[in-house]
Amino acid sequence: MDNELPSEFDLIVVGTGLTESIISAAASRIGKSVLHIDSNDYYGEQWASFNFKSLHNCTFSNNIKKHTENSSDLLNFNNDSFNIRNFSAEWHVPEKIGIYCKNDDSKNRQIESVINDSLKLEENNENSVFLREEILNNSRKFNIDLMPKLHFARGDFIELLISSNIARYAEYKSVSRILTWLNNQIEAVPCSRSDVFANNKVSVIEKRILMKLLSLVDKNDNTTGKYTILWGNLQWYNSYFLDSKDKTFLEFLKSKKLTTNLIHFVLYAISQGTDSTSCIDGMANTKRFLNSLGRFGKTPFLFSMYGSGETTQAFCRLSAVFGGIFALNQPIAGLKLDNNRVTSLLNGSQEIKAEHFVLNIEKAPVELVNNLKVTDYISRAVLITNRSIMPSEQEHLTLLIYPPEDKGNSVTLIEMGHLTGTCPQNFYLVHLITKQQSNPKDDFKHVVANLFESNYTHLQVDGKPNMLWACYFSIPNTSDLKLNDNDHLNVHLCDGPDLDLDYDYTVKKAKDIFQRIYPDIEFLPRAPDPDEIIFGEEEQSKLNDVCISETPPK
Amino acid sequence: MASRKKILLKVVILGESSVGKTSLMNQYVNRKFSNQYKATIGADFLTKEVTIDDRTVTMQIWDTAGQERFQSLGVAFYRGADCCVLVFDVTAPSTFKSLDSWRDEFLIQASPRDPENFPFVLLGNKDDLEPRAISAKRAQQWCQNKNNMPYFETSAKSGSNVEQAFLAIAKNALAQQNSTVDLYNEFPDQIKLTNTQKPSGSGDSCSC
Repeated sequence: MDNELPSEFDLIVVGTGLTESIISAAASRIGKSVLHIDSNDYYGEQWASFNFKSLHNCTFSNNIKKHTENSSDLLNFNNDSFNIRNFSAEWHVPEKIGIYCKNDDSKNRQIESVINDSLKLEENNENSVFLREEILNNSRKFNIDLMPKLHFARGDFIELLISSNIARYAEYKSVSRILTWLNNQIEAVPCSRSDVFANNKVSVIEKRILMKLLSLVDKNDNTTGKYTILWGNLQWYNSYFLDSKDKTFLEFLKSKKLTTNLIHFVLYAISQGTDSTSCIDGMANTKRFLNSLGRFGKTPFLFSMYGSGETTQAFCRLSAVFGGIFALNQPIAGLKLDNNRVTSLLNGSQEIKAEHFVLNIEKAPVELVNNLKVTDYISRAVLITNRSIMPSEQEHLTLLIYPPEDKGNSVTLIEMGHLTGTCPQNFYLVHLITKQQSNPKDDFKHVVANLFESNYTHLQVDGKPNMLWACYFSIPNTSDLKLNDNDHLNVHLCDGPDLDLDYDYTVKKAKDIFQRIYPDIEFLPRAPDPDEIIFGEEEQSKLNDVCISETPPK
Repeated sequence: MASRKKILLKVVILGESSVGKTSLMNQYVNRKFSNQYKATIGADFLTKEVTIDDRTVTMQIWDTAGQERFQSLGVAFYRGADCCVLVFDVTAPSTFKSLDSWRDEFLIQASPRDPENFPFVLLGNKDDLEPRAISAKRAQQWCQNKNNMPYFETSAKSGSNVEQAFLAIAKNALAQQNSTVDLYNEFPDQIKLTNTQKPSGSGDSCSC
């Protein structure tokens, strides 16, 4: 097998983050020849999922070797401005804590008791194991997202997955419940009509006020994504909320006579706002939430099985199916310039030409990003715990919105059980996300203290779950940077993950870049079902009939 | 124990580029062969209904879509596989030598619950071509050391042995699924998003 890549393409995509992968899929889909290349040996950049060991030992380097050739017409890849920072990982259980499992089948065991004495563990039978070892041995059962995302069931992203037929490459689970932190305890958020009526913490009068508000927000057409809601319906908002336009959402809710508890549910949990969120944003977010109710499951949200990292791979697969060539773990070095126009990619010693180049910002040459400065970071924490924050029979995927405290930001917490395919049985994976204020550890201190037991004395069977392991890191928030203001018109930069719960903004950005490169061509039209493509000589004409815009077979 | 639920078996086909992975699935499902598609374009997955011991199951056979060419198959490709088909070209020794690494790659990436007993099936393809580089005996020996992996010599071009091979694949996949799913009920209630899914209107949301 020759291992040389072809030497010319319509489009070269460097980096396998979500934005790049969507563009790659869209370009291959309309018959462009695409090379999709990465220096990493895994998909996803800062949208990737890692198994336990690879995250625990992660260095977040770019894996790009500095090229020795130093010429003025070569832009070397790699800049150090957009990497993940402040990564730290630590165990919260002593090394020699053993557990005894009642089921001797190693694949299906349940933790029954804890052995605090390592001598006893060895004497005990083969059903005992050290807790840390149990996690390490199951490393590959963990799929830990750098940036986990939930999808609005009627949001732009899910609609795109369905309309483009990319949904067939992934499976989803619905979020089973939404919780919040209210009056120093965990409370379920009533988000649908039946939830509101079933909630015994909400009085009859409160129920009426809430229903009135929710139906006011919900009264409208079938708009879906955040963008359409925000900009498409300005008129509608003006007519209903003219006098509230300059108010905050909090003031508006107070003016509608909502009680403190209800304001908490609507402002913090449903609209995921803060005290300073404007009325129009609050309404748009509330509407976005309500629109997605009742499609799948009890909440408006979906999560991709095995982690959000699967999503980029689904788009890459579509790109590959339509002829895109994929090469990971490549010795990419830089871009060759000719009169301010990038002409080719240097990969090892091979020069590969293309009309257009799409680059992940983390990999971009310094010359293209030196006017961009990251000012915002996303604080992230990942915890492994021994039980759910609110155990119940069926709950395995929980969203908890922790409201802002002391002028801080609200914290999004996602807890995943083993049925999501992201962690082994007997453990829970907890993700914390917030806009960074000081550093990840301090930003989450209050949440961790209130919800988890971080000092190990014994394994909790009730009360707060034990935090067994934790890691913290910061992701640069590049979503507000003006990325494509440079002189090189055929180079297009893609940003990393943003703070939004869903991918709406990313889909929009990918679409914008695609349309800048290929104006007036449809973005990700429905891909034919596999059975509609029939190969074979005599079927050639049929193939062309079925999918007119497809790549002609070479 | 046997559920009434529709049984879907996911089968992945692995092996070096141009050993005939796409041709084999196309011959099996569509009974077509083409010399035209040199590298895989447009091949995704194909489905076929098979009857095994009076049970109708749907076999979904996943192609690598060419992503194996530069060792770039992502882990998502391997999710939930019930059987792994390894393919080599009986006229190309290098494609036989790489079988170990493909098998290892599968076991690492898919990390099945019981790697020792996970079903693999080996296909020696292009047995209509000369000169032959790998004898049946040599391939069978390799299989013996791998938990007696079933071995078939096939020709995607003539169709010889293709039907038999895939029937064995389906049987192995079904046996694998029976031994895991019922015991552990691994992932119930996944949601598959499709075009045909009826939007349920505002449903539970407040339209009052």
